[in-house]
Amino acid sequence: MFLRNYWYVAATDTDVGRKPFPRTILGEPVVFFRTEDGTPVAFEDRCAHRHLPLSMGKLVGDRLQCHYHGLQFDKTGHCVRIPGQDQIPPNAKVKTYPVVERYHWIWIWMGDPALADPDKITDFHWFDDPNWGAKASYLHVKSNWQLVVDNLLDLTHLAFVHETTIGNAARAEHAVVKVTRAPNNVVVTRWIIDQDPPPTFQKVGKFAGHVDRWQIIDYVPPAFLRLDVGATATGTGAPEGKRVGGVTMRNLNAITPETETTSHYFWGQAHDFDVKNTELTNNIFEQIQTAFFEDVAVFSAQQRNLDLNPNAPQIDINADTGVIQARRIIDRLRGEERAAMQMTAAE
Amino acid sequence: MKFRVELVWKDDSGGEDASSIYLTSDGRVILQGQAISPEQRKALLLPEEGDMISIDKTLIRAIKDML
Repeated sequence: MFLRNYWYVAATDTDVGRKPFPRTILGEPVVFFRTEDGTPVAFEDRCAHRHLPLSMGKLVGDRLQCHYHGLQFDKTGHCVRIPGQDQIPPNAKVKTYPVVERYHWIWIWMGDPALADPDKITDFHWFDDPNWGAKASYLHVKSNWQLVVDNLLDLTHLAFVHETTIGNAARAEHAVVKVTRAPNNVVVTRWIIDQDPPPTFQKVGKFAGHVDRWQIIDYVPPAFLRLDVGATATGTGAPEGKRVGGVTMRNLNAITPETETTSHYFWGQAHDFDVKNTELTNNIFEQIQTAFFEDVAVFSAQQRNLDLNPNAPQIDINADTGVIQARRIIDRLRGEERAAMQMTAAE
Repeated sequence: MKFRVELVWKDDSGGEDASSIYLTSDGRVILQGQAISPEQRKALLLPEEGDMISIDKTLIRAIKDML
């Protein structure tokens, strides 16, 4: 069961234009387009007549015309033209979805439209903040969305999945991790105090001596993970909350279920140093992307095994603490949404 | 020292946050609490043997919710 009453990232701002753009979200076919004034619109991607995907059609002004028999739907989803017929049946309409364009992403609300408050959109301001350099991308993942969330909440896999890129097995074995759980939030924090800076940080931070490093993973349901990673010179007060100089990067992730076994993975990387240097932004992005491809191979392989035997038992280890807390939040929210739907159905 | 996790449970209903729960690599769950004095043991008719602590109800909620 998908959580429906949440904003999800559906597409990038450049995906959606004057050509119908299809995408399956939470198991539903959706078509996106922009009206002539640039406003993004989302429809059910299924003609009310014979169910051809409307994304196979074309835009006529602000109307989406079906490729099969030419029925035209206005931006509210109502059929306003049937070729060769004056009378339009009152149920000749398609479902529309609330959409908002923010942080260079197109967000969609798949649940009750009356609850779609744009203020509830998770903050990803780093993508259009002039104080940050940032680059974003999209990956199609052949796995359930929760496997991606699990991966991002778990720091210990870095040493093994990313052994040749960003991992360090010795550090993983001796980590001290703090997991803070609030009703709708999990934060996993790890500090590495008074150590040599890693090469990537040294290159951009030009540190004279040891550094204090942090890795902070902030999880917001259903599937938003914002990683705060950085370093400052040891003794300047970062562990106490005072970041002086140093370097900070944000790894930003939004996962949207496509089906139960496939996901849309929107992600990006931001940095607070040399922010206008697009070559640097690209270099950082490329390094992280290499590691992400290693993760995607893991999710897909996990999903293949889950498909073969969904009920095979799993064990938990201490490193799963953040993952387990996130899964408990999801389970609770599923129960709450199910109860609300049953109550609505009973009324 | 091997891998060690500190768990913190935050209450959003205005109550106090629970004290931390520590999971250690040797499989122990370590809690914070107040030691029970010999006088308290006697007054409450508690066993004399073994270390005993009292923990607050917020921590019990945290344990139920998180472990």
